[in-house]
Amino acid sequence: MVTRIPQMPNTAVASLSSSTVRAKPISSRHDGLAAALMIGPNLILFTTFVVVPVVAGLMLSFTTWDITNGFPKWVGLANYRRMYSDPLVWTSVKTTLKFIVVGVVPTVVISLGLAMLINFRFRFVGVVRSLYLIPAAMSFAASAVVWRFLFLDGPGYGVINYVISLFGVTPPDWLGSPTWALYALDIVTIWLSLPIATILYLAALQRIPDAVIEAAMLDGAGPWRRVRFIIWPGVRYMTLLVAIISLLAFTNGSFDLVNILTKGGPLYATQTLIYYIFVNGFSYGAFGYASALSVLLIALIGGILLLLRLLSKVTLR
Amino acid sequence: MMAPAGVRRSGRILLATLIGFLLAAPLFYMVAGSLMSNEQLSIQPPQVIPSSLHFENYSQALSGVTQVIQARSFLNSVIFTVCAVGLQWMLCVSGGLVIAKMRFRGRMLITVMFAISLFIPLVTTLIPTFIVTYKLGLIDSYAGLILPIAAQTGFGTLLFRQFISQMPEELFDAARIDGANWWGILRRIVIPLAKPATAAYLAISVLTAWNMYLWPLVAAESGSLQVLTQTLALVGTTGQGQVTPQNVIFASVVLVTLPMIVVFLCVQPAFVRGLTGSGVE
Repeated sequence: MVTRIPQMPNTAVASLSSSTVRAKPISSRHDGLAAALMIGPNLILFTTFVVVPVVAGLMLSFTTWDITNGFPKWVGLANYRRMYSDPLVWTSVKTTLKFIVVGVVPTVVISLGLAMLINFRFRFVGVVRSLYLIPAAMSFAASAVVWRFLFLDGPGYGVINYVISLFGVTPPDWLGSPTWALYALDIVTIWLSLPIATILYLAALQRIPDAVIEAAMLDGAGPWRRVRFIIWPGVRYMTLLVAIISLLAFTNGSFDLVNILTKGGPLYATQTLIYYIFVNGFSYGAFGYASALSVLLIALIGGILLLLRLLSKVTLR
Repeated sequence: MMAPAGVRRSGRILLATLIGFLLAAPLFYMVAGSLMSNEQLSIQPPQVIPSSLHFENYSQALSGVTQVIQARSFLNSVIFTVCAVGLQWMLCVSGGLVIAKMRFRGRMLITVMFAISLFIPLVTTLIPTFIVTYKLGLIDSYAGLILPIAAQTGFGTLLFRQFISQMPEELFDAARIDGANWWGILRRIVIPLAKPATAAYLAISVLTAWNMYLWPLVAAESGSLQVLTQTLALVGTTGQGQVTPQNVIFASVVLVTLPMIVVFLCVQPAFVRGLTGSGVE
């Protein structure tokens, strides 16, 4: 499924590495037929709507096609050449990367801070933690509607700009300004991503025994040293997962929020690659070109994932 | 000099609570706004407490000229969520059993394929997925709305696989000796024992389906298949010559979101288990 809600790479990683899974060879039993019947419907649907689209997308990227009539026409690398010389492609790649970096980094840092803040017991701790988690139940669509009102500018300031103006600063017209619109979308997506990131960090923090932290405090370790030498080593394995989940959330947000709040504007300032693909496919009917752009998008996301993995390998050493 | 422990503790509780309210503030504001008069919503400085309670905003969101939420789109959201998640659950729990406990060639290949699919979210393959659905003649039908989403079985199958693989092998051997076939094992052993995994799976998937916007947007061209996220997006879209009053919009968002917030608060522990990839507690 597709949303900012994680489709848990953790599960994927665990299932590939776990050795407990292999059935013991008690006999030379083979369940071929029963297995095929049982997993068949799953595999048929999965192949039709997940595997085929990936392969078909790659093939279609070498064609032009108006899907309503006729067959795809082979054009070789024409779509890719067009992509290379299309300035809007470069802007939307840059916008996408900026949207992701400006969003994911604060999400990771802030959620770790929040998790540390609420990782202790007190009366009503459950209620307070719920406050941190509720936004996770919101859809991009619902959040967009609420935040659009909070971001209002002009004579009837929204709450955010009212608060900013109290400090004597002239607030920006968030969604209407080419400079600020992308940051506004980032703020909404960060707000939506924090709960899940915080839950994950909290789960990691709760595995660090209180006794270890207390012992460190007795030894005179200040807050900074406690974070550096006890908390960070205890949670850093979780950071990769938090980063990946946030990355996928921001990938989704880069369509939903853009389509509802800004339509790629103003002046293409929020035209993410996904939105550009959507426009090419569904507004211009350029399905071949849109397929080529989709290949670029998958490569982009795949590249970031590889980079994250490399980073985590280096820092975990 | 450090403050005494008690003071620091109270300070931390205070800070944690304040930040919690700050994070949830947009939601409180949404509820407050849904009860205000439209005049109160537009005065400066912005008001946060309704001066009088306007519950009629809710009836206006559900009927009359300002109607936002149609019974049809509510029903569509329910049908979409129940069918997509229900079908996917059946595929995932049986698929999970197959990969976890049955012996056949190609098991690793299938597992790897599911794992890779987690990193290719539907949004990246939107165009070809649309084309496949279109060529199957399913655009603008419930099947076209539901099947491509139910087909995203990677996450669920791996979740159940992980949970089922921890069930003792003897259990399965014993059942087979008693003459049970794999369907019997699925029904009488796996599904009852996998309840925690099912809870975790449902918590995540129901929320995901209910909140999904992109696929229904492209799969349902006619209004009769519209789901609630689209309804909200339409009133929320900037520059559409907005006619719906803001307080009615807020009431609509509350009506759409509240069921999920309630569900979420109830299933929170299961949700966390699903996220951290451990069906077991």
